[in-house]
Amino acid sequence: MDLIESIKMAGTTLVANKLRSSLTMLGIIIGNASVIAMVGIGQGAQRLASEQFESLGPNLLFIVPGSQETRGRTLNLPKTLVLADADAIANQVPSVREVAPQINSRLLVTYRNRNTNSSITGTTPNFLAVRSFDVARGRFITNLDLERNKQVVALGADLAEKLFGNTDPIGQTMRIKNASFLVIGVMEPKGAVLGDNQDDTAFIPLTTMANRIMGRTSPYGLELTFISATAKNQDSIGAAQFQIENLLRLRHKITDEDDFTVRTQKDVLKIVGTITGGLTLLLAAIAAISLLVGGIGVMNIMLVSVTERTQEIGLRKAIGAQERDILIQFLIEAVILSAAGGIIGTGLGISVIQLVAMVGPLKAGISPVAILLSVSVSGGIGLFFGVVPARRAAKLDPIVALRSA
Amino acid sequence: MTRLLLSEVLNMDNKLNPHSAVFDSPRKPVVIRLEDIFKVYGIGNTEVRALNGVNLIVEEGEYCSIMGASGSGKSTAMNIIGCLDRPTSGHYYLDGVDVSALADSELARIRNLKIGFVFQQFHLLAQLTALENVMLPMVYAGIPNAERRERATAALKRVGLENRLNNKPNQLSGGQQQRVAIARAIVNKPVLVLADEPTGALDSRTTQEVMDIFTELNTSGITVVMVTHEPEVARLTKRIVWFRDGEVIQSHVTPQEITQMAVS
Repeated sequence: MDLIESIKMAGTTLVANKLRSSLTMLGIIIGNASVIAMVGIGQGAQRLASEQFESLGPNLLFIVPGSQETRGRTLNLPKTLVLADADAIANQVPSVREVAPQINSRLLVTYRNRNTNSSITGTTPNFLAVRSFDVARGRFITNLDLERNKQVVALGADLAEKLFGNTDPIGQTMRIKNASFLVIGVMEPKGAVLGDNQDDTAFIPLTTMANRIMGRTSPYGLELTFISATAKNQDSIGAAQFQIENLLRLRHKITDEDDFTVRTQKDVLKIVGTITGGLTLLLAAIAAISLLVGGIGVMNIMLVSVTERTQEIGLRKAIGAQERDILIQFLIEAVILSAAGGIIGTGLGISVIQLVAMVGPLKAGISPVAILLSVSVSGGIGLFFGVVPARRAAKLDPIVALRSA
Repeated sequence: MTRLLLSEVLNMDNKLNPHSAVFDSPRKPVVIRLEDIFKVYGIGNTEVRALNGVNLIVEEGEYCSIMGASGSGKSTAMNIIGCLDRPTSGHYYLDGVDVSALADSELARIRNLKIGFVFQQFHLLAQLTALENVMLPMVYAGIPNAERRERATAALKRVGLENRLNNKPNQLSGGQQQRVAIARAIVNKPVLVLADEPTGALDSRTTQEVMDIFTELNTSGITVVMVTHEPEVARLTKRIVWFRDGEVIQSHVTPQEITQMAVS
């Protein structure tokens, strides 16, 4: 008996038992849909994170106080990174193009009767270039503002909207922690990075931030939250990292453990990738378990089917079906069930991905590899879990099978 | 044509059995030849001899019924004649070929090409139409679809069901279902039609209907062997073989003797 005949025969049987066939497929459908959707969403999250980090600016390095080990434990110790360090990096490290030191804090900002807690960033004019920010209207901080400790502020798009609504903020006076500031500009929207909204930020001169707002100086100098720096080009990122580390070790007179950490964008991306990759793997593993459960469901139903169709099997064998014919017939039934379940499940998974992409920021990817994998895996599952019932059917003694009532 | 093909396929020695001189009337080709067939179930103390040295010859064109009380071994003999089972010892020549020691796959092929089965419970596949049910043996024989359809239609016409080709079994009466089963039995042009209580599930009117078809088939030259416990059915056949305690005690019972055999 040829394969086409077997497939036709299996199809007839499956169609004759529509309800059972579809219920059997359901397990595989759900398993497949979840694998595709979970992997897709996981990859979408990964891609989103990468895009966000790349949007920070090209060839970026971050210098943060504290070593890998002590970060997080030394919450209120004096910050070891000071403005002089930033100047030294800018002047002495050959692979670095530009440096933007930063002091960050969350503070109350007020305009008339509106107030909100926002992120305040004290920085230098270089910030624009280093972090790829653009001014929408007005201007950003200048060196003159820095020199004169001017109380001027450039607002992120969201913060401007929140405080001023329809009013043009430029030229207005607002308050940051009891000091009054003149709004000089509004930034272009930049988006969020890992949930941190960069548009809900007010930018003021570094000197003003240190002297008028924070009012606290470390024994080492003007303490910074962190320093952003750009390398000359993509190839010099590694060199820049090495040179900055050496310079800071010299300046901080470090003999054993660093009191700072230099991270490249790639390092950060790698960390994010590890987290989201792990998440994707976890989701996929959970989904794979449901696929496995679906496969066991197929085996279960096929076993029931063999018991129920004992007489049919006996008859087929009596009129000349070989063991092989029966084996193949039941295997094909199992494979059709799970492969069809796989295809339907894939369709469902893709719809879920597209739905998620439509309502959320997650540009979930439809991975052809995942689709191919899950359909062939479901087919394989059908084959694997179909073998036991099919063998049982093929080995039936026709005399016993025909006599069973 | 089929016979030649089969012996070629199986590479069987087709020469005449040297013991054949022992048996009489070699006028017609012998379809069934059972020689000292034993069928023993269990081992040691629990040994049960279902068949205890059965010898039987059925020639081509015979119309034969096998009778006997339950437990007489007629069902076991039926299974062996139908190549569904192998004897513990002894030789069974079907159409001149010794099939008593063949492998399962070879037996399946013989059942497919040489034997047509008719069962008490019809055993039609519920999800298939009458036509598809009749086509089934040809599917396993590897016959192309067009020829299958043509031959199945002809077979159904022969049993008077040309108007029921596309009906499912549950749309047919018991007698019609058994006629479909007979069409399925003859469609591969077997050397032997083997019927196991073919009228056991039918009322007297449809019994007559089905027996008429068997008689017609036999008249056209097909060898028919059936197991039955109904004397009225057996009387319609030309020869009655009586089994008792695993042996053939009478291989040519006259219709008059049936009652007597049954009580003895």
